[in-house]
Amino acid sequence: MDQMQLIKRAMEVRKGGEKAAIATIIRTKGSTPRKTGSRMIVFPCGRIEGTIGGGCGEAEVIEKALEVIQSNTPSQKRVDLTKGLFFEDGGICGGIMDVFIEPI
Amino acid sequence: MQLMSRNLFAQLEKSINNRKDTFLITITDYPDNKTLGAKALLWPDGGFCTDDSLLPQDVKDLLIAQCSKLVAKRRSGAVKFVWKDSKIECFAEYFPAPLHLIVAGAGHVCEPVAEMGRMLGFFVTVIDDREEFANRERFPFASEVVCQSYLHYFRNVDISEKTYILLLTRGHKYDVLSLNELLKRNSQAGYIGMIGSRRRISGVFKELQQDFPDESFDNLYTPVGLDIGAETPAEIAVSIMAEILKVKNQKSGNSLNTQIKKYAKMGFHEGAGKWTKCSS
Repeated sequence: MDQMQLIKRAMEVRKGGEKAAIATIIRTKGSTPRKTGSRMIVFPCGRIEGTIGGGCGEAEVIEKALEVIQSNTPSQKRVDLTKGLFFEDGGICGGIMDVFIEPI
Repeated sequence: MQLMSRNLFAQLEKSINNRKDTFLITITDYPDNKTLGAKALLWPDGGFCTDDSLLPQDVKDLLIAQCSKLVAKRRSGAVKFVWKDSKIECFAEYFPAPLHLIVAGAGHVCEPVAEMGRMLGFFVTVIDDREEFANRERFPFASEVVCQSYLHYFRNVDISEKTYILLLTRGHKYDVLSLNELLKRNSQAGYIGMIGSRRRISGVFKELQQDFPDESFDNLYTPVGLDIGAETPAEIAVSIMAEILKVKNQKSGNSLNTQIKKYAKMGFHEGAGKWTKCSS
């Protein structure tokens, strides 16, 4: 089952003793590339598995996830996709999403 | 709190495999960092379990109450509430139970059907009353292989609109017997497909009409499958699974290009009938 896949993978990563963090979209508003419940695993080297939508928003989450791995404490990150390229003329770039990031 | 205990993860997997709708709850905001990220499972029947021993009972009760709207709507979402002047937020993620595909009759067609059923995310049960057919070696992909009489199986198995049943048995008397049990049940399956020739089908209906004169057989699809000229077991499986998806998704089953034809007058000709048929 698709939805379980990254959780399953995270459990494997933990079993293997590797450090990493998992990010989950818990809330979306407006138009976002991926839906609530989408996940992404981030490794300390910056490598990712899965995606929460790509682009600048994802990069911000990866940065935060590296902090989470360091501190070993879960955290939230709000990704604002409305401040995009065309924000000045009306914000065609979409919505806002809240992402919960936790150490594996 | 780190991700989730192996025990809780096993429970989540087991619950889904048992075809139960399940919610995974994550604490995403909490005054104490140690509880941040705590996980729990919640079921629509009110069942609750957590692997976090630090979670106070009144917070657990609040979690269940606050998530009840999402549970009723069977939707994922984040919920914020206040407990002893502190903000708590949780994310309740809905894991819908997979649809159940029951394939009665473990012959040639059953093999690709079981495999495709799994590919498409169904929980697939293969049932036959003969041990040499209903075994794991023949069906490595099935979620479950049952060797039991059709009568007993269909008398007792859970049936709901999430149940899809295929009758691919070796003789029409087994179809009659299975349908007899299914029609006696209080709940109706989402789909019942029965393979067979016109003669076999009319034989089945004749026998059933004696016991069920008023039955309209609304959800019975027979002969089974979409009209794509299927002949081999694999082709028949495609035809059957396409019909099942059509019913599940409530779509027409027509080629998508019939819609494109409307645009042909604008000069858009793709798939509009100019193709020469490939004969190989």
